[in-house]
Amino acid sequence: MSLPPFMLLRPRRLDEAVVRLADYGPEAMIVAGGTDVVPNLRAGLFSPRALVDIKGIGELGGIRFDPRSGLELGALTTLTAIAESSVVQEHYRVLAEAAGTVASPVLRNMGTLGGNLCLETRCLWYNQSTVWRKACGFCLKKDGTVCHVAPGGERCWAVWSGDTAAALMTLDAEIEIASPRGRRRMPLTEFYKNDGMDRIRLGRDEILSGVRVPARLAGYRGSYQKLRIRSAIDYPLAGVAVAMQLENGICRDVRLGLTAVNPAPLLVREVGELLRGQRFSPEAVEAAAHAVIRTGKPLKTSVSTPEYRRDMLRVFARRALTRLWSSNGGH
Amino acid sequence: MTAEPITLRVNGQHFEVTVPPNRLLLDVLREDLRLTGSKRGCDDSSCGCCTVLADGVPMLSCVMLAASYQDAEIATIEGVAENGRLHPLQEGFCVEGGAQCGFCTPGIILVAKALLERNPNPTRQEIAEALSGNLCRCTGYTQIYASVEHAIRKLQEAPVGSGKA
Ligand SMILES: Cc1cc2nc3c(=O)[nH]c(=O)nc-3n(C[C@H](O)[C@H](O)[C@H](O)COP(=O)(O)OP(=O)(O)OC[C@H]3O[C@@H](n4cnc5c(N)ncnc54)[C@H](O)[C@@H]3O)c2cc1C
Ligand code: SF4
Repeated sequence: MSLPPFMLLRPRRLDEAVVRLADYGPEAMIVAGGTDVVPNLRAGLFSPRALVDIKGIGELGGIRFDPRSGLELGALTTLTAIAESSVVQEHYRVLAEAAGTVASPVLRNMGTLGGNLCLETRCLWYNQSTVWRKACGFCLKKDGTVCHVAPGGERCWAVWSGDTAAALMTLDAEIEIASPRGRRRMPLTEFYKNDGMDRIRLGRDEILSGVRVPARLAGYRGSYQKLRIRSAIDYPLAGVAVAMQLENGICRDVRLGLTAVNPAPLLVREVGELLRGQRFSPEAVEAAAHAVIRTGKPLKTSVSTPEYRRDMLRVFARRALTRLWSSNGGH
Repeated sequence: MTAEPITLRVNGQHFEVTVPPNRLLLDVLREDLRLTGSKRGCDDSSCGCCTVLADGVPMLSCVMLAASYQDAEIATIEGVAENGRLHPLQEGFCVEGGAQCGFCTPGIILVAKALLERNPNPTRQEIAEALSGNLCRCTGYTQIYASVEHAIRKLQEAPVGSGKA
């Protein structure tokens, strides 16, 4: 199927790009790697007047690490570059693992970190061709009036289906956002709205320009666990990210993030409260896994059942915590 | 939306085409340039049949807007053989039966070519991982891995461009 008509703008500088976004307002859309935007355009989900291709903006690239200030990642850094980066692998393991599970190797060569953090939410009833959606009845998120997942309500439950956001949340990441008014920063945990229809706190004339991870979290052990239909290609159906600091077997700090089960990626803060200061025990792991399944709320938004996805959250939480906590190597 | 002239570099040659901005590189290659080696295998960018190399990096041409890739050196399967001689990877696919229906083969050869340029001696596991996003419904992959391994051996005996046969 071909794409709907649009104008293509290719700014070379960030200040120029945000002005172009401001010019076109709600009729503009950003495209970076295009691996989410283009399939969605093809499915008739968007009809922008202008696509603003930000790939040519040199200042948005690059990975920089400084032991005092931490890690800085430009929004255009590809997932391949993150997964293969030796500094990310060594200091921020959970992020390298999460980036390395996104889509397929070829898609990771194109997909960018900015695009991964700003993905459109996904649902069985939404990510389909116009013909399919029309035949099954349009839904609230696009062209219709009811939600097929939760028909009684007024909300869309389409799922946050990116991998790196949960991992970056466990690392206290901050994002930088550029607009014609300058730059602002916000913790990644505040970026997501937990609303399938309106997913992120980003103005129409704003671009996510980069991500910062504090030096304090360098060296944390990390693990990312992911459920998908085809393990080489597909979007996550459930995901658990864990970053942990151990000292002589005692858990000094731990953060656990969830993805692909709610309209936003989420941190399960209770896990930290439960486990800090403790030695490994199967009971402690079980208590944490229990907190995880109380937070994750999968619904019938995918081909896999909510029950299975919820069960897998418990399995992943156990598996990641046990692996990181009960071994010396960490991985 | 008006069609605009764009310049693409494909397999070392310059092409000028006049296309609308929503035109995918895959369609320009297949329909405007008549390079039909790159295939459209799915409609959701998940099969890998349309893989091309952009500056040596495997990418899906069904996701690439042609006008956005005017600065890149694009390579398609048509450019893999040199001076009428098959590349050792292509030879491997012939000898080992790596292609059956052939639809996935161009994408797989390009991904394998990029892999061998970065890592001339990959393990079978590394080959499998590199090709994991390229779906093949015929071969069960065993012959594909054997084809790539054939090329690895050939390239070690006589690297491409070394002048040795
Ligand atoms: C078959 C298939 C499987 C996939 N599997 C996965 C998976 O397992 N896990 C996963 O996480 N993703 C998956 N993806 C989605 C995608 O490949 C990645 O998430 C990728 O990182 C998206 O980045 P991109 O640069 O291609 O984004 P784009 O498609 O260019 O953009 C995605 C969204 O982000 C916005 N955007 C992009 N950059 C910025 C920016 N800097 N500032 C503000 N907004 C921006 C765009 O407007 C758009 O809404 C899959 C895609 C396909 C086709
Ligand atoms: S959750 Fe409901 S409204 Fe949202 S995309 Fe799915 S069916 Fe549509």
